[in-house]
Amino acid sequence: MRRSTKLAPLALALALPFVGVGSAWAVGSTNANLQPVPLNGSAGSGTAMVQVNGSTIDFTLEASGLADGPHAAHIHFGADARHECPTAAADADSDNRISTSDGVPAYGPIAVSLTQTGDTSDASGLAVERFASGASIQYMRGGVTVDPAVAEAVSQGQGVVVVHGVAYEDERADAMSDLDPSLPASATDPALCGVLSAAPAGGADTGAGGAAGQEGTVMLALGGAALIAAVGSAPLIARRVRG
Amino acid sequence: MVVDSDRRGRRGTLAVAATAVVLAVGGVVAVGVGLQQATAGPPPAPPVSAPSTPPTPAPPAVASVAPAPDHAAAAQELSAKTMPRSRPVSLTIPAMGIVDSSLVDLGKEADGTLEVPTDYGQAGWFEPGPAPGQFGPAVIAGHVDSKAGPAIFYRLGELQPGATLSVTREDGSTAEFVVDKVERYPKDAFPTAAVYGDTTQRSELRLITCGGEFDSGTGHYVDNVVAYAHLV
Repeated sequence: MRRSTKLAPLALALALPFVGVGSAWAVGSTNANLQPVPLNGSAGSGTAMVQVNGSTIDFTLEASGLADGPHAAHIHFGADARHECPTAAADADSDNRISTSDGVPAYGPIAVSLTQTGDTSDASGLAVERFASGASIQYMRGGVTVDPAVAEAVSQGQGVVVVHGVAYEDERADAMSDLDPSLPASATDPALCGVLSAAPAGGADTGAGGAAGQEGTVMLALGGAALIAAVGSAPLIARRVRG
Repeated sequence: MVVDSDRRGRRGTLAVAATAVVLAVGGVVAVGVGLQQATAGPPPAPPVSAPSTPPTPAPPAVASVAPAPDHAAAAQELSAKTMPRSRPVSLTIPAMGIVDSSLVDLGKEADGTLEVPTDYGQAGWFEPGPAPGQFGPAVIAGHVDSKAGPAIFYRLGELQPGATLSVTREDGSTAEFVVDKVERYPKDAFPTAAVYGDTTQRSELRLITCGGEFDSGTGHYVDNVVAYAHLV
């Protein structure tokens, strides 16, 4: 008896984190419009879609107009990030390019690596051999386990998809990556970016009822009554005029 | 006295006659408007569709399993026809009598619902989503009717699978689509994932309007009609 009383708070403390996790059951369809990151010379566009089901996600990534070469792609999220894509103003060191680090205040660190095989954690952020490559990429992957906090953030419109890998044809081609000094900057600099925003909630209010029937019926009834009254008053007028 | 009463009588006759004329004219106008609205009839709508997506899975009672190492199957490569992003400018749906109708941009309202066009004669594109021709489901919404009568998407419910439609885009290109199906859903069971989510892995278009019963209490229809089409 005494022992169980003592153990109760401990059991509660152990259970609480799980209660918290269980209640954060995020569900939702999100979509990101991938647009060129300023300064980096990409002219492509694309679509990323993420379906959140609790702590797993299904994702589809499509982009075209990219530079040849591998394209690392991630969902970025940081609790203290702005959940945005970087603007040209993010070029803090004025080297005329937005490096992946330049964009971190806007989109946060890597939360999920959108790899085609194997691990999808931030540890695979630069696993270029497991990402797609080429000017056009299109692939989908289901059942990817993510941190529940990330799933929740994505369903709330706070995840940002970034596709990396650009082509520099000026002195920037010699710059080295801020993420891995053994790689050229063009391999890791962001090409396209888009915020995963939640689909509109529920249906659409696209009608005012004018063709639904009752308005026409009401007008017909009123008009009919008016005509009957007009016709009905004719004998009265006739009698008066004759009288 | 006789003169007075005679005058009063004549004035009365004039008043009755004037009222009769007003009633007659008003009546004819009202019947005309009423007939126009009544002959338009309620908008065509397909039968209500059974939920096409399984209900949301229930959350696990206790998330006692720690995040497992990722055992997700390998990705599936896709090869859908796509067009780069470009703002849609106008919409043509021959089967609905819509020719080169200009489009407005739509976003989301503060409560998260889809913004709808203010002009009943104009459809709108959900700008945060894909552009028509881009990979994923592009969404165009239009009213079925105004308070006065039919609006731009009045005939959406009678669109048949196989019908063609096209969207002219700002870059000068035209995205051509073929209708796959037209569904009707109660708004309180709207299949968001099927309409806005990635369910077919290709470039698609969704046309959305209202349908079903009109609830004069809320001032809204109870259902939505959604036409699904894909890029060809």
